[in-house]
Amino acid sequence: MNKEVDVLIVGSGFGGLGLGAKLKQNNHPSFVIIERANDVGGAWRDNTYPGVECDVPSHLYSFSWKMNPNWSKTFAPGDEILNYMRDCAKDENLLENIDFNTEMLTSTWNSKDKLWHIETTQGLYIARYLVTAAGHLADEHLPNIEGLKDFKGDCFHSARWNNDADLTNKRVAIVGSGASAIQIVPEISKIAKEVVVFQRSAAYVVPRPDSIYTEQQKRLFKRMPSEMNKLRQDIFWAGEYNFIQRRNVPKFVNEAKKTALDHLESQVEDPDIREKLTPDYEIGCKRLLISNHYFPTFNQPHVCLEASALHKVEGNTLFGKSGVRYEDIDTIILATGFEATQPPFAKRVFNDQGHSLDAQWDKGMQAYDAITVHNFPNLFVINGPNTGLGHNSVVYIIEAQVDYIMEALEHIKIENKTVFEAKKSSEEQFVTRLQQMSEGTVWLAGGCKSWYVDQRSGNLTLVWPDFAYSFRDNNGTFHREGYDLS
Amino acid sequence: MNLSENKKIETTFNGLPLNYYDSGVPRVENDNLPMVIIHGTTGSTDTHFGYLFPLISSRCRVISIDWSNINEDKLTLSDLKEQVYSVINMTLEGKKYNLLGYSLGAVIAAKIASERVNDVSGLILVAGWQKTDEHQILRNHIWNILRKENSEALKLYMSFCAFSTSFIQNSSLEQTVENAKKIEINEFIDKQMKLNSTIDITDDLPRIKAKTLVIGCSQDLMVPTHHSKQLFSSIDRASYLEIPSGHGVVYERPAELFQHIDHFISNPERFTDGSVINVRQA
Repeated sequence: MNKEVDVLIVGSGFGGLGLGAKLKQNNHPSFVIIERANDVGGAWRDNTYPGVECDVPSHLYSFSWKMNPNWSKTFAPGDEILNYMRDCAKDENLLENIDFNTEMLTSTWNSKDKLWHIETTQGLYIARYLVTAAGHLADEHLPNIEGLKDFKGDCFHSARWNNDADLTNKRVAIVGSGASAIQIVPEISKIAKEVVVFQRSAAYVVPRPDSIYTEQQKRLFKRMPSEMNKLRQDIFWAGEYNFIQRRNVPKFVNEAKKTALDHLESQVEDPDIREKLTPDYEIGCKRLLISNHYFPTFNQPHVCLEASALHKVEGNTLFGKSGVRYEDIDTIILATGFEATQPPFAKRVFNDQGHSLDAQWDKGMQAYDAITVHNFPNLFVINGPNTGLGHNSVVYIIEAQVDYIMEALEHIKIENKTVFEAKKSSEEQFVTRLQQMSEGTVWLAGGCKSWYVDQRSGNLTLVWPDFAYSFRDNNGTFHREGYDLS
Repeated sequence: MNLSENKKIETTFNGLPLNYYDSGVPRVENDNLPMVIIHGTTGSTDTHFGYLFPLISSRCRVISIDWSNINEDKLTLSDLKEQVYSVINMTLEGKKYNLLGYSLGAVIAAKIASERVNDVSGLILVAGWQKTDEHQILRNHIWNILRKENSEALKLYMSFCAFSTSFIQNSSLEQTVENAKKIEINEFIDKQMKLNSTIDITDDLPRIKAKTLVIGCSQDLMVPTHHSKQLFSSIDRASYLEIPSGHGVVYERPAELFQHIDHFISNPERFTDGSVINVRQA
């Protein structure tokens, strides 16, 4: 049986829950969230590796309309964030709107009935408006490494943690040195017999200003929510301050670099290891990491840093690109990141010509106002092109996008229309301006290869190249002039 | 310095050296007016606008002067104002522009806006004041005593007055002491401090015709918000907002300050005359 709704949202992470909550609060009569898993939470449901925590302070990495006085510490652990999201779904009565275990297979715009036809693992849905809220960190990136599939031990991605794999007294290889790896490595090294970290490129790591909230503080937040809000604003503006580093202003780039390199110097004893852990690109070009525990791990004799990528696997022997071999490895953990630059959902969304969004984005993803795409009517993309940040909270960005969608739906209703489509000229003008804004930023001028930049075009497609507040200024309000309505 | 390092221009005024910075047109072209920015007491483009200059220059052409000492013993408002005029005359040649002043720079900016009513299109006054009051005179008096005693406490006293409690709380005593050492005190600062004690531009303010944004700092001990409220009340086309910061807002909350400047540059009309702006929260 077909299920017909006005708005269909794909995904129940922060994006899906954020929009769902607003629709609910506005008494929207007909919407559904389809979720491929059996729980809400997106990346926070999927990432259960030891030591998983957020890199943005929790009083900001949460919805402005649902502040939480009970965060246990500055950077809450993953399970606490997941529980917060579950509470959001429950408290906003969203569970009745979520169809779990329902994966979008294809979504096709039908220009005859002017509706989206969404094939899922649970059957067909028909919707007037389609909103993808897949998130940047939804689908894991698996590297193509010779011999890896024939590896005899346990091998899994950090976002698909195998809880049955006992790592106690094992020889464990961790592939990657990004945001997940730096949280996993210190935890695994506590129990493993030996740990090898394959590092393709070194990361800048700065101190993590983490502290536990006392019962007194939490009680104050409950009794006086304005204090909690004050903290939120302080965190937001402290984050915004750091945008100037991404803008590549030397004085501030150098300050940040000194902080990171001093941190390395103070935490790692061996100068050779320090040398290997020193990046060869500008700070901020790749994601800036925060940890107090990652570097000291390499002071331990059973932890080895292989300063090259994993090249090939033969039986239980792993070879670095440097040629160094590591024998008798029991477990490989792939902390190799996510398919963020070319999001897999785009392969499943088709316009009335049968062309996929992925095909239209063959030179890199782009969208008008970072949310709508010409040739794809009645589609909103949450967390799509140019919505990432290197310096602040993505939940803030999501809230701006939710505002945009709510305003767009209201506008279309007021005009008594049913179909909107971004004008190609508006989209191109928007993207040209973004490219101008991106010039000279550390992402493009910092001498690194990162997932922020689409290698096919060399354009910065993932990140908003300005302050977070300016994302809300520019993309938090529906711009009627950029659309054809019918 | 930073982006502006290679934009520094060395010139002279009344036979004395005078430096200013001119960013040129922004990378992303637009119709925004150029902006002249004026630093405050003890400051320079580098120390007060090291954060703001490169960012404002991404939105519009920005020109910033570094005040120069004068040969005379007594510094007047007119001396500093004439230095700014000389740079404006050299760079903007009768064009319209926006003007931003911080602290004592706001006093000068207001004075200029009252005189060049046809040229100054928009005016931003950050932590400024119109008339020195007894509270400020007491602070300056204590400053003078410490200065005469050549006290080690002088720079720390300045820091204590300049920053909010929460900003100070976030630094160790060691860090605060280290940062305070960077403050430069010299004969020119002495002259500026004397000038600070005698400010009165009350009669000039009603002549200002520019769209004006008055920004007060809610935890300012040096120029408490009642001064900004006086400016808001005295200037016809003023609007008012506060930033939760001490007087040293250019260090404490520069990104938030930039947001308001950015909003003003892109669309001054969004600030309704006579309105108190409720700043949207994150």
